[in-house]
Amino acid sequence: MGLEPRNMIHLFGDVWITNTVTSTWAMMVLIGAVAYVLRKKQPVALEMLVDFLHDMVADVLGPEVAPMYLPFLGTLAIFIAVADNLSIIPGLVAPTRDISTPLALAIVVFFAVHYYGIRAKGLIRYLIDLASPLYLIVLTLPLEIIGQLSRTLSLTLRLFGNILSGEMIVAVIFSLVPLFVQLPLEGLSMFTGVLQAYIFTSLATVYISTGVESSD
Amino acid sequence: MSNLDSGTLVTVVTIIVAGLGIVLGTITPAVVEGRAALRAIEGMTRQPEAAGDLRTTMIIAMALLESTAIYTLLIMLILLFANPLLDRFFS
Repeated sequence: MGLEPRNMIHLFGDVWITNTVTSTWAMMVLIGAVAYVLRKKQPVALEMLVDFLHDMVADVLGPEVAPMYLPFLGTLAIFIAVADNLSIIPGLVAPTRDISTPLALAIVVFFAVHYYGIRAKGLIRYLIDLASPLYLIVLTLPLEIIGQLSRTLSLTLRLFGNILSGEMIVAVIFSLVPLFVQLPLEGLSMFTGVLQAYIFTSLATVYISTGVESSD
Repeated sequence: MSNLDSGTLVTVVTIIVAGLGIVLGTITPAVVEGRAALRAIEGMTRQPEAAGDLRTTMIIAMALLESTAIYTLLIMLILLFANPLLDRFFS
């Protein structure tokens, strides 16, 4: 139960493809296959999922612009919710258990905030809003930059820490008692995973809304 | 303790610090989260029609509070399983 991911495929030199990456590939195939089968057999289930995600985004950003942001935020929610619970499949590990995956997702959110902000307001207007009020620019601009960076760090560490701690608690109990006792804890870990997906998506929505709406 | 070598001493101190640190680092978020849940339940009983909004806000706020405990846990895990001091000075 080490913290480091295991190396699976050797590329060159010290560069390896870890088991978290191979698990992510398996997860992509899994999500695609499930979505394809559901679209053929049970389209209502997919509609319910999209409706739920749409309501979640529309509560913060407003119902008229929600379809513009839904593809990105809904993908984040589905990806994280599946990734957190992937370790229940034998042979796979949760990709979010390695700090690289949450960090990559948080960096994507960091750039998405600026992209959507510039697209909604234009570059000049966005930069002015970022540093407003302008007569206090010596104070506001550094604080804004620190805030942007620290929210990326906290998104990363929250997701990574919750998933890793859930898996480690199950592993510790499993090393003490062989069967049955760790099942409720595994359930708790799965609940935490889905909750963290919800929280990550809500926070990304809130960050995008602060970037999109104008300050005056 | 005089017959311990330095690496063992660092490990023992790390284990003691990890135990104390996880206790101190989880007390505060637990108390504050309890207070947040108490206030949210008070609001829900007073205005049951606003229960949905209150629940969503409470869950997000509690996740933000929870992250302080998670930061403590992460630092303790690094100290226990990937101690940088041991790797640098005693390897």
